[in-house]
Amino acid sequence: MKRAGLALLVVAACGDEAALAPGGDTTIEDRTSQAYRLPAPNLDADALALHLDGDVAFEATFVTAPAPVNGGLGPVYNHTSCIGCHARDGRGLPQIGTGPTSQSLVRVSLAEGTPAVPGGAVPVPGVGTQLQDHAIFGAALEGTPTLSWTDVDGAYGDGAAYQLRAPQLAIAWSEEPEGAVMTSLRQPPPVFGLGLLEAIDEPTLTALADPDDRDGDGISGRVNYVWDAQLGRAMPGRFGLKANTPTLRQQAAAAYVNDMGVTNPMFPEDDGAIEIDAARLDATAFYTATLAVPARATASAAANRGEQLFDQFRCTGCHVPTLVTGDSPIAAVAHQTIQPFTDLLVHDMGDGLADGRPDFGADGREWRTSPLWGIGLAETVLVGARYLHDGRARTLDEAILWHGGEAEAARERFRRASSSDRAALVAFLMTL
Amino acid sequence: MRYSIALALSLSLAACGSDGGTVADFDDAALVADFADQVAVPTYALLDQRAAALEAAAVALEAAPSATTLEAAKAAWVATRSPWEQNEAFLFGPVSSFGYDPAMDSWPVNTNDLEAVLAAPDELTAAYIHNLPDSQKGFHTIEYLLWGEGQAREAEDLTARELTYLTGLSRELHATTTALAASWTTSVDGRTPYRDVFATAGETGNTAYPSRTAAVQELLGGMAAICDEVANGKIADPYDAHDPNLVESQYSYNSLVDFQDNLRSVRNAYTGAVADAGTSGRGLAAWVAERDPALDTRVRAEIQAAIDALAAIPAPFRDAIKDPTAYATIEAAQAAIRTLQQTIEGDLTATVLP
Repeated sequence: MKRAGLALLVVAACGDEAALAPGGDTTIEDRTSQAYRLPAPNLDADALALHLDGDVAFEATFVTAPAPVNGGLGPVYNHTSCIGCHARDGRGLPQIGTGPTSQSLVRVSLAEGTPAVPGGAVPVPGVGTQLQDHAIFGAALEGTPTLSWTDVDGAYGDGAAYQLRAPQLAIAWSEEPEGAVMTSLRQPPPVFGLGLLEAIDEPTLTALADPDDRDGDGISGRVNYVWDAQLGRAMPGRFGLKANTPTLRQQAAAAYVNDMGVTNPMFPEDDGAIEIDAARLDATAFYTATLAVPARATASAAANRGEQLFDQFRCTGCHVPTLVTGDSPIAAVAHQTIQPFTDLLVHDMGDGLADGRPDFGADGREWRTSPLWGIGLAETVLVGARYLHDGRARTLDEAILWHGGEAEAARERFRRASSSDRAALVAFLMTL
Repeated sequence: MRYSIALALSLSLAACGSDGGTVADFDDAALVADFADQVAVPTYALLDQRAAALEAAAVALEAAPSATTLEAAKAAWVATRSPWEQNEAFLFGPVSSFGYDPAMDSWPVNTNDLEAVLAAPDELTAAYIHNLPDSQKGFHTIEYLLWGEGQAREAEDLTARELTYLTGLSRELHATTTALAASWTTSVDGRTPYRDVFATAGETGNTAYPSRTAAVQELLGGMAAICDEVANGKIADPYDAHDPNLVESQYSYNSLVDFQDNLRSVRNAYTGAVADAGTSGRGLAAWVAERDPALDTRVRAEIQAAIDALAAIPAPFRDAIKDPTAYATIEAAQAAIRTLQQTIEGDLTATVLP
């Protein structure tokens, strides 16, 4: 039995307790490179034991079968381990192509055809809905992506110039697919706090949604109903950058089979064979469900002002500060008041960010509101951390400036704000 | 990440500043800077120097394979392994961000694909080796080739292609250590040298370490994490399963040396010194000794006790985990490391970040 660690120490916050403990009782006091990879401090002994099994699974490097340990890689894959892309359980880098430093991936699909599951993306024949750009020895990878960047000039309201960069993706296919392939580049997102997001009940999500913008604030927001492979019906999507996955178990199972080529009980071989068992899949999903959320850092006066601006600019229209979780089979994440700064809904983010690739109910301009908790630690956890779905934003300012569509009005309030107000808003984000 | 600690209550207390931010930061900037300059940078410099020697030994082995050149290559591998294991109490920054850790230390070895590459006609260029999966290069693949399964390797067994592959892997390992060392000392791809990032913790504009408290919490957290990893992962995983396949550095039988170097890494981070590199600066130890000399004495003693307990396990570790007469020594080592971990997480953290 691995050590359970010291007794949990609950934050005795002096100010707004919910604000300082964004993960509720799962909050951990840590502002270091380890801040995303610590177990929730409120797990009981059995839950911690399962979490620790999941920790081992999350770090495991897969190799070509047969092997005494961790066989089952490929034959095609994107990486050999979970941790290989989610460094320290956080973001990966927008690096893609040949070799083991490739961490991002490309989703692909056709505009016309029969989806693999009801309502889903149409797979590219011979490839599926994800480009596997690596292969075990002797197998053929599906294609090799190349990423380059194009500068995009802009200016703040006060005249100060800025420069953004937009990604240019090219794919050298091993076998040229028939039909026009839609592509979408994805940077790996952090994996902590996800059990809390899974425990936000459907009525909460539908109450946040405003698909027809009845309140006229320019922000709609829709639940992306997606295929639940376990239940065999549509359920609210919560995970993935377009919210195309309903549960953490399915997220983990899809990552095993698609990212690493490791078949499992939810996605077995055609003949039913599996390369990891249900216990290992469940432990991995449980691990991502029960990672702690880092406490917020001490706020300066500027950061406190920035938090007010974040609300005044209506960033909070989508990055909803406070939610309450519902029932959950995982006691540690049930009925928690949390500050994820997301509504888990998909929103039109404008032409600049559009990938033009629909995924279930999310159209080619829609993305799920990214949680912002812990974002101030991004550079602490990962040197050179980048932001947004494809890692195009080198700074938080750039990430904000890319917002369009339903977020255009909020973006404009930021772009036209004084430099001190802009700095205050970013200072607030850095405390998350 | 196995451990479940709540380090540094100071952050929650700091958050209680009445005007939000005037609570004092950790007071010793020299300590943070000295960690960068006297511990991290010299550890990576030593690693790079020894990796260069390993590359040279592989070249010599390929040029004239013999028992002598094979033993020299093995010795160079063991020597290179030591500073690597002595970096494991501070695996933050470039080593974990840019894939250097998996490039050097991936395990298990993908022996199927390794054998396939060795049987294939592909030219083993530097680029070809660079792009191989991490599980076909780095320390453990080199180790597998040098020692073989069950330490059965003889120099005359090594094929020309294996020798070429070994040279290529050693060159790639050296390139990785050079890049890692450079990432701390020079600006690569426009990035701030990581030495500057860490040493300027708490200064305006430092987005990675906006406080020195966070930097010191990083050091304490790293020390605790490697204790946890050794006692509850590196030892417990193979020992609890009595499965040699789960043992780190199992081909060289160097596991117990690895573990002791991990504890030396804790000592280096604590004392601000790297004995093997001949560097020393102001460490946490000095800061603690000025305030609570008994605690400093205790931390030092517990580090040494953990190293001694590991040394008392009969080598090789892969046999000890299946030998009931060795079990008591294994469990004693785990206990000693856990005692140290509790001290780091408890009294040491409470003293440094009250």
